[in-house]
Amino acid sequence: MKLIQESSKTKIVSNLIVSMLAIYGISQKQFKLDQPSLFHRIVTEVISPVQEGLASSKESMSSLWENYISIVDTSKENNILKKQISRLESDLTSMEEMRKENLRLKRLLNFSDELSHQRVMARVVGWDSANEFKVIRLNKGSRHGIKTMAPVITDHGLVGYVYRVTENYSDVLTILDQNNRVDIVVERTRTHGIVEGVFNFKCALKYIMRNEAVEVGDKLITAGVGGIYPKGIKVGMITDIAKENFGMTLSVEVVPSVDFDKLEEVLVLIPIEGVQAQNVTPAAPAVEKKI
Amino acid sequence: MRMRLSQILISFALSAALLIGLEVVTSTILPALGWHEYRLTFNVLIILFLAIRLDSPAVPWMIMALQMIHSVFSIEGWALGTLAGLIVMTSANYLKDLLHLTTAIMTMITVQLFQMIWYVTVTLIICLKISNFDKFGMIIWSFIPGSILLSLISPLIFWVLEQIWRVPSDSGPRGVEI
Repeated sequence: MKLIQESSKTKIVSNLIVSMLAIYGISQKQFKLDQPSLFHRIVTEVISPVQEGLASSKESMSSLWENYISIVDTSKENNILKKQISRLESDLTSMEEMRKENLRLKRLLNFSDELSHQRVMARVVGWDSANEFKVIRLNKGSRHGIKTMAPVITDHGLVGYVYRVTENYSDVLTILDQNNRVDIVVERTRTHGIVEGVFNFKCALKYIMRNEAVEVGDKLITAGVGGIYPKGIKVGMITDIAKENFGMTLSVEVVPSVDFDKLEEVLVLIPIEGVQAQNVTPAAPAVEKKI
Repeated sequence: MRMRLSQILISFALSAALLIGLEVVTSTILPALGWHEYRLTFNVLIILFLAIRLDSPAVPWMIMALQMIHSVFSIEGWALGTLAGLIVMTSANYLKDLLHLTTAIMTMITVQLFQMIWYVTVTLIICLKISNFDKFGMIIWSFIPGSILLSLISPLIFWVLEQIWRVPSDSGPRGVEI
């Protein structure tokens, strides 16, 4: 009886200590920027190469699913023939994939020539494993010059900014995340607003007054205020406008210009210290023109 | 059932390895196959097993350690899930006479129920942190499809964890003391 009571006391004390630690941890947690702990750095450096390896074999995984698993019910002869065809197709697909990758990288490089930032090309190796956060992991880190708050783009537009960095990997808070807010300008009307992530790979445009003449199809670009994103990077397009019976602002739905489903390579823009202030503004019209 | 410390450490290490493997599946393999919409939060499932099936003062610490591993794969961090895990554990303690995970269906229903407690806790804290309760319903709704899938595969994952922790599957209510 005494033993049971002691065990019960230990459980209560144990629960209390861990609860207090958790509450302290929650109070310290920031969803906009993070300094990784030593534990986080070590485990990320150990595990992320596995993620990187798996992400780079994406094509093989897709081939496995499409060409092998889905045909288990057909006859043996068909299997052999289909395997031969799929092998040839796989070769062709990988060649086509290389051609597409080449094209994408060329486009990215041409696009980035017009920006006055030092740029680092990186591959997406993983996504945040929690449902409520839209974060991607890149295969480049502080060793490659990446810093926190650095904007991340593709040739299609804005992806997000660097949230935390380890030696060889970095996490990017995408514009799909509810914690990321982007100051934007509606390209046609020059109306200012804020884009933030909502759900279902879409964003919401906030603080647009009811009397503003925004329309479905209007394009949104970064406003260049806030100190994170350079001006003129394409953010997305308005796809729906709802006027509620109450409130002063419109409810506007935005589809990002970057197709996050197919995101593979990105460019991280590192502001060049000292010249950043002069360079960002002159580069903006060129970026605007290009995007 | 009493386990030696070395056995507990081995079982915990195996659970942690299982979590890492499943987190890699969620964060890399499924997105690579085109599954982007919903994430399967396997950390919730493993912690639910510890919280519901085991009875030991070490469980809160194990929940915290597993959440720290999870934080490597998510910006959610360790603290949110740890608190949610402890709340689930306490709720399970109060409901221990009602919990009988003897059939797959019962396991699925129980897991779905405790997942909802978990997600409501996490969403409440997130909304408090971002000072925006407008998104409460939307965040909860985003959890539903993934949570149903997790409940469906929970008997399998629980079976694996029962082998790891050497917990008999017909042990009835909560409280397999380790």
